[in-house]
Amino acid sequence: MKKTICLALALALTLALTGCSKGLTIFSNYRRIENIELVRVFTADALEDGVLVSIYGTAGEQNDARMVEKSGPSLGTAMGELLMMPLGREAILSHTENLLIGEDMARERLNECLDYVERYSETRLDIGLLIVRGSSARDLLKGLSGSDPSAADVIAGLANHIARVGEGTVFTCREAAVSLLENGVALIQCVRGVEEERLFDARGDLNLEPDGFAVVTEDGSTLEFLTGEETLGCLLLLSRLEAKDLDLTVEDTVATVSVEELKTAYEPVFDGDGALTKIKVRITAGAKLVSLRGVADVTKKSWREAAERALSETLRDAAQAAVVRSQTLGLDFLDLHGITARKHPMKLAAMGRDWSEIFPTLPVEVEVEGALRRTFDIMDSPEIAEKEEMTPWEKLTESLKDN
Amino acid sequence: MLKKEPAPPEVAENAPVTVAALEAVFAGCYDFESRDLHIGGDTSNKARLCFIDGLVSGSDVAEQVIRPLTDPERFAGVRGAQAIARLLGGSVYVYTAKCRETLGDLASDLLNGFCALIFDAERRAVTFEVKSPQRRGVDAPKEEKVVKGAKDAFVETMKINTTLVRRKLRNPHLKIKEFPLGERARTSATLVYIDGFTNAELVAEASRRLEKIEVEGALTSAVIEENIVDRHRSPFPQVISTERTDKFCMNLLEGRVGMLVDGLPLGFLVPGTFSQFMKVPEDHSGHFIVASALTLLRYLSVALTLLAPAFYVAVAMYHQEMIPTRLLQSMIEAHASVPFPTAVEVVLMLLAFELLQEAGIRLPSPIGETVSIIGALIVGQSAVEASVVSPVVVVVVALAGIAGYTMPNIDMGSALRLCRFLLVLAAIFLGMFGVAMGCALIVYHLSSLESFGVPYMSPFAGSEGRHQSRALLRKSMTVKRDREPELKTGDGGEAKL
Repeated sequence: MKKTICLALALALTLALTGCSKGLTIFSNYRRIENIELVRVFTADALEDGVLVSIYGTAGEQNDARMVEKSGPSLGTAMGELLMMPLGREAILSHTENLLIGEDMARERLNECLDYVERYSETRLDIGLLIVRGSSARDLLKGLSGSDPSAADVIAGLANHIARVGEGTVFTCREAAVSLLENGVALIQCVRGVEEERLFDARGDLNLEPDGFAVVTEDGSTLEFLTGEETLGCLLLLSRLEAKDLDLTVEDTVATVSVEELKTAYEPVFDGDGALTKIKVRITAGAKLVSLRGVADVTKKSWREAAERALSETLRDAAQAAVVRSQTLGLDFLDLHGITARKHPMKLAAMGRDWSEIFPTLPVEVEVEGALRRTFDIMDSPEIAEKEEMTPWEKLTESLKDN
Repeated sequence: MLKKEPAPPEVAENAPVTVAALEAVFAGCYDFESRDLHIGGDTSNKARLCFIDGLVSGSDVAEQVIRPLTDPERFAGVRGAQAIARLLGGSVYVYTAKCRETLGDLASDLLNGFCALIFDAERRAVTFEVKSPQRRGVDAPKEEKVVKGAKDAFVETMKINTTLVRRKLRNPHLKIKEFPLGERARTSATLVYIDGFTNAELVAEASRRLEKIEVEGALTSAVIEENIVDRHRSPFPQVISTERTDKFCMNLLEGRVGMLVDGLPLGFLVPGTFSQFMKVPEDHSGHFIVASALTLLRYLSVALTLLAPAFYVAVAMYHQEMIPTRLLQSMIEAHASVPFPTAVEVVLMLLAFELLQEAGIRLPSPIGETVSIIGALIVGQSAVEASVVSPVVVVVVALAGIAGYTMPNIDMGSALRLCRFLLVLAAIFLGMFGVAMGCALIVYHLSSLESFGVPYMSPFAGSEGRHQSRALLRKSMTVKRDREPELKTGDGGEAKL
């Protein structure tokens, strides 16, 4: 009996953990499910004297999505007023998938955005963070709102898709915050709204396309943009590339290959005095042949080797371009410091030099090993390729072994 | 107002046997029959024949007892003690004959299908077993479906049940020890075990608990179960009851002690552990990989039947952030036209489900099935169409209910149903914290249970790690497996069952 009473008391004490903070009612956190509106996307744009916040929310599947906006002196106050608006439903931020911010907001008040996401109890840290170029975030969201599928689905679709086509990757608010904290700089995916002509719909519609990366510093002193080769280089060096189609000139042909298997390894090199002399980056990339312009025997070893050389060069150039840009800006958005610190914490600490001094002139050697794994040719198998390279005598002994 | 009936005169168990005393015992019993017989046809040499009509076979009494007893060639001039000696020596054609000197023994024999010849002058009686053959034949189990296995189930007659066990375990070490149960009903109960193999302490403890039972009569299974378990307040079953003889014998071979009670078509097995209630004899009939997968499925069902409604209530009321966006959108959409809050909706559905289940069980089977079908249609489709409940709630409650039906033991299923309600209430008031707290309490309760000295949650708790897989996975029959160490069997080693 004594045991039971002790157990009951212990359980009663733990009721304090339930989060019942509003008076004695235990239903303080209760929300009727039918009264909820899910905020799937919200935007933030800097104004001269504050912030303009828009939320895009849906209730049920068939309910029309709604977009409402509010301005305020800070993101917190604007958002607070927006969530308290008498819309008939309670807007919750727990299902927010993406946060769109304008260029000015990224430059001036990025910290405020990340801070809000981190501190507000409902928002998740894995909300995707995107910078809108070419227009304000609010205008882009409004432009997308008339589309079908919904604006939230268009943005979520882009976020899921871009890494698969090698056009970028969406970093989450947590990743951005961690990068800012550790390196003082963060990479953020940029997007741009584009007019889209629909084949079965006369109405022109706004769509979304990736537009490289923005390099943002914590203090807002820098807002630079990376595009094309530099974007690809960042994806390679950060191991965030899922797939990328590349056109390679191989002998007299143009081969389109899809790079799929990627592995990036870093090796910081220290000399005898304990000084960091360079960082070796080794990238191994596997690719498959997608299409071929021109005529070539793709099963021939010489063609394959030429293709693999071309692939390696292309990837190396991209990686080098990203490294050069990073060192030119003096901003370690590739997290080379973090990689070195994780691999050799004692050696790096023993050097006693500030990373910002070392980094701009630190040699970074990029070595790429590209391999063409599949050509989808019927004769394309490692055994056939090996036998073709054999001398007649080797072929004979091999066949005798097989028998 | 009814007058209180005077209590019948107490009959001393050890009182000497006389016709008058026996007639006093059975006074007011319309089925008690007695008549004088002239031994060897001699009208001066009388004995009193007594029996309970219906319990004995009339033709057997006439042919096997009366006819030889009244035959002058056999019994002319044979009186008193000499007659008793002849009767016990086989002068009548009954294979079981006992000499009784106390009234208690005599009455017990009569109630067990014997007829008695009372020799008043000798203060003794000879009883003959002439039981009526009116008894239910051995049939397939009704409550425990047999998919691939023996189709003989226990019946209400003890002798048939012991025979069924003996036929499966032809071992002279199989002991069947008898205990009378109930001060008034005097039901016969037996303890079944394999001598030298089953843990002697377990046998002694089971005997002690059976002997200690103080009841009027053992007419229901609860009388046995609640009187011999360690914690009778726990809703979880601690005694394995089965109507399947193969399951009963399999457990005897694993080192458990069995109990059979006359009048109950069930066998009881102790100790009962949680993992045992998750097993079915078919686990040993099917392929071991399939059997292992099905066992795992049953454990998953426990989680589903216990947690599905409570989890739904908690996330729908308090933790909407845990629901995937698309699903939450569908739930909001579906719930928009439902007037009740989620808590009321789920409790209503659970109650409706229980009502349907009870109606289906209590009604005769064709009507029961109809009720189930109509109920499913009404509660499911119609309730959703009428916007009384949302479709997700129907799915969740039905899923929990169906998962509960996979429990091999009906008592375990009932205990889980009860816990399901408690967890739903905890979820209504405290959300996911309440569910976690409820689960912790259930685990605490189960872990504190013991059945005849064996931890209820063994082998998950209180056993070595290597034994834990035994509860979840079945090894191939070609591989020797470890015995359950908790049962402390005589050989204590490996088994190939």
